Amino acid sequence: MVRIKNKKIINMRREKFSEWIFKRFPIDLQKISEMWEKVFVKEPIPEHMKNWFFALGATPLVLFVFQAITGILLTLYYVPSPDRAYESVRYITEEVKFGFWIRGLHRWGSNLMVIAVILHIVRVFFTKGYKAPRELNWIIGSFLLIITLTFCFTGYSLIYNQLSYWATTVGTNMIGEIPFVGKFLLLLIRGGIDVTHNSLIRLYNLHIGLLPTLMVVMIVLHIVLVRLHGVSKVYPDEPTYSFYPEHFYTVLQIMLFLLVALSTLTIVFPPGIGEPADPNNTPLHIKPEWYFFAVYSVLKILPLKFGIWFMFFVLLVFIFWPFIDEILLRRVKMKPSLHYIVGIAVILIFLFFTVYETIKY
Amino acid sequence: MDEKETRRDFIIRIFSVIGFLGSSILLLRNILLYIFPKVTPKKERKILIAREEELKIGEAKLLTISDKDLYIVRTQQGYKVFSAICTHLGCKIKWEAHNNRFYCPCHKGVFDINGKVVSGPPPRDLNSYRVEVSGKLIYIWFV
Amino acid sequence: MEAKELKLQKVVVGATAYLLIIVLILVSAFEVSKSRATEPKVDISGTTKKCVDCHLNRGVAVKLIDEWKASKHAQQNIGCYECHKAEQNDWDAFKCPESDIIVAKHPTPKDCAECHEQQVKEFENSKHAIAQMVMKAEGAEGPDRAVFEPLIATKHGCEQCHNIGNYWPDGSIGECDACHSKHQFNIAQARRPETCGECHIGPDHPHIEIFMESKHGNIYVAFSNKWDWNYKVGEQVPFNAPTCATCHMSAAPPAIKSTHNVSERLAWESQSPFSIRTSQYWGNKTWQEKREQMLSVCKQCHSKSFAEKYMLIADLNMLQYNEIWKTIVELIKKFKNYGLTITDEFFDGELKLTSWPKEGYDEEVEHLVYRTWHHEGRRFRHGAIMMGADFTQWHGIWDLQENLVKLMNKAAEHGIPEAKRWIASKDPNKFFLYPIYDVPGNPWGISSILYKGGALSMNRIKNYWEKVYANVKAAYEKGFLSEEQWKLYQELYDNRDKELGLPYSPPEILKEHMKVLAEEAKYVKENVATFTLPSSSPYYTSNSTKYDKKVAKK
Repeated sequence: MVRIKNKKIINMRREKFSEWIFKRFPIDLQKISEMWEKVFVKEPIPEHMKNWFFALGATPLVLFVFQAITGILLTLYYVPSPDRAYESVRYITEEVKFGFWIRGLHRWGSNLMVIAVILHIVRVFFTKGYKAPRELNWIIGSFLLIITLTFCFTGYSLIYNQLSYWATTVGTNMIGEIPFVGKFLLLLIRGGIDVTHNSLIRLYNLHIGLLPTLMVVMIVLHIVLVRLHGVSKVYPDEPTYSFYPEHFYTVLQIMLFLLVALSTLTIVFPPGIGEPADPNNTPLHIKPEWYFFAVYSVLKILPLKFGIWFMFFVLLVFIFWPFIDEILLRRVKMKPSLHYIVGIAVILIFLFFTVYETIKY
Repeated sequence: MDEKETRRDFIIRIFSVIGFLGSSILLLRNILLYIFPKVTPKKERKILIAREEELKIGEAKLLTISDKDLYIVRTQQGYKVFSAICTHLGCKIKWEAHNNRFYCPCHKGVFDINGKVVSGPPPRDLNSYRVEVSGKLIYIWFV
Repeated sequence: MEAKELKLQKVVVGATAYLLIIVLILVSAFEVSKSRATEPKVDISGTTKKCVDCHLNRGVAVKLIDEWKASKHAQQNIGCYECHKAEQNDWDAFKCPESDIIVAKHPTPKDCAECHEQQVKEFENSKHAIAQMVMKAEGAEGPDRAVFEPLIATKHGCEQCHNIGNYWPDGSIGECDACHSKHQFNIAQARRPETCGECHIGPDHPHIEIFMESKHGNIYVAFSNKWDWNYKVGEQVPFNAPTCATCHMSAAPPAIKSTHNVSERLAWESQSPFSIRTSQYWGNKTWQEKREQMLSVCKQCHSKSFAEKYMLIADLNMLQYNEIWKTIVELIKKFKNYGLTITDEFFDGELKLTSWPKEGYDEEVEHLVYRTWHHEGRRFRHGAIMMGADFTQWHGIWDLQENLVKLMNKAAEHGIPEAKRWIASKDPNKFFLYPIYDVPGNPWGISSILYKGGALSMNRIKNYWEKVYANVKAAYEKGFLSEEQWKLYQELYDNRDKELGLPYSPPEILKEHMKVLAEEAKYVKENVATFTLPSSSPYYTSNSTKYDKKVAKK
């Protein structure tokens, strides 16, 4: 008797509590749970998504979350001042418990993220995932690429070792060469004519403030668009499976696997510190990070002003590719196989110059 | 549930769940260790701070070792070394020879030559260091 | 998706999770293994900070600061000023430019003694402390420096080593940084044989050479890079062979304490013209006690019987040298009787250094005499007691006997009849112009052939062993050998047949060896000795001083 009575009392209390909550937080639970089911749990994923090549969209997302978490953890110890930055990075790497691990995850995470994003772009390009009505998503995606690369550039400069300092100098110099807006952008980023303490703080601000916000907004837009359009089917009658639990497990696998890979990479190739930045001493070889090698190499070969314009042109083609592709196909009546040739050519050029720049010197 | 879970399924599920939980716990542990640095007691080292006959009985001298201020005093019983930080709220104390006492100007705390609280708000005696006298040399075990 | 695929996914998730656990454990292990730097912290504060800052600013002797930082002094907060503090009137007071600091330009053992009193005291009681004095005795002068060499040469020569016993204006003696050099004062450096070898080197006291030749030195060369040179003072030396410091300074627990008195365990004074047992004036111990100390060190590795036997033979070598020296002294006295220049102030059994400035060094005989004790005699004695076989033999007794022969020849030239008779004599025992010591056998084993054969002096001289026994007994009764040594000698003497290997026949293989040697001798005779070259006659004949055309044409 007492047991049943207690149960009744508990239920009553629970109901009262729910009333109290919903009065102050008037949401429609029913609607939310429906939407949740539709969008998340029952979302139909076409069978082709079981192929790992198609997981390359989720990978950068997972990696971004890792970067955000490890990044926040790093801000517990990092000091964004030119005289303390290097020392704080060294402190994290050498003295803080598991500091080397968090930093290694962050460092390797950034490298893997760039690779994942590039592979994702390659996949989308060759599977023509950008065809109408999905062109806008491609454009948002290209913004995501630019934001990712800016993340990498600003992040690397924060270590404030020789390579950071001089890569920042050279990089911002190149930004200064952009026609019309170059000088303005240069002053904006550097906070002065030369690379000073202002520059470091601005890069830091970009890296932990503006860029993450932009990134999150873009990611949300990107995913929302994918969901709204639905994952495109390869052929019309392709069977589907629901997002939860199968695709969810896939993402879980990706997450765990990435953690394993990043931790292993951290142990096997621990992140180094290099020499502290010395504004009076330019090292013999200044090189940007590997993902910039291709651009760097090409800009070295072409005359500067022409090179910048050329890069700009390439960027525009890349951003508006869905439309250009459409024009080339319909109006100019290019053969479909040209698509593959263009794609492979770009990839090969990129690889060639990256490898060339790596083995040079 | 539509069907009963077979034993094999159960084992597989438990296998995965344990694995996942285990890795999550380890992950969380590492991150927490990162966030909360353990304060390991620093190793003591022996350093020379003075020689005999530098101080008379009843005299105190201020020293700075490794950015820490210390007072060395000589009493009837021997040498004592104290931290110059008041145990109340951390101000620096001063030795007043004419009054034979340590005085903290912040809240008027007073310690005697043996580091004991005499009057004022300080809750406990001055922090002292272990002294070792070897021949004519006075060492302390410094952290 | 089928249930099977789902299950597979779960399995994969689980497997990856376990992999992650392993990797995270590796990460933790890596974390733990990262050695938290136990680099000791060096504080620079107070006056020392002023010194360091100013020196760094002006770039004066800045590497010394790094040296000091690596020292144990730095870790204990003992900085520049603690040693270099000075009063205005000090002999080495120096005011640092543009400051009000007065420093001592040259800290002396008096400064070191403020903390290291015991070591300084031990040093003062050792023979290192009289190193300068023996080079320049009060009222007398070391002849090389006084007469023979321009002083400028001795400044970078003799003085550099002998100033280990420098007498400072402030009353202290010695140079502490001779072995552990400033400013690191590193104990590992001081313990190295090469440190001693900076001075204990050369034809007159080739100690480092003797060490390197010895088995101890060989083991040192082979393994020393793996030894822990920073062992704690007072604990047993963790080496598998001794170095100079091990025997002469380091502790041999539990009985023997470490000391800075390098003479504390020396039972012989063996650099002087005569070998003398060290007196109690040095170290307040009898020579027997000192020898016991040394033997305690040996016995850390060696058996009692080996160490004592070795030392017995070495001691008898020391005494044998005395006999040789006495013979030479007597011989030189005879020179005087035949109107030669050597004064008797000079050779009274001892060198009276006062006579050197007047005469000496300019005649061959004087040189030979000097070398006999100062060079060959020392080499012989030190080699014998410190296991330098080559120095005992070819740079030792051989040279000594040669000197003796040269002196005899010189004596004969000058008409001394005893010398003339000696040269003409065909007696094979003639080279033993003095009494002999001997011990049956040797410390390293028993040979079945070494002591056999009629040609050996031991077997040639009548009643050899009885005579030798009587000599050793006399030495013992005079106090040159200890009770234990005499007892040991008697045991060996009673067992001499066995020790000499007499009851043992040589192994069969000896016959093989002898046969080979004989055949080789035959070969030499037949093929080498009697071999004539085709261009027959010598190109020079004693008959003609001119070039012999006839011969050349052939």
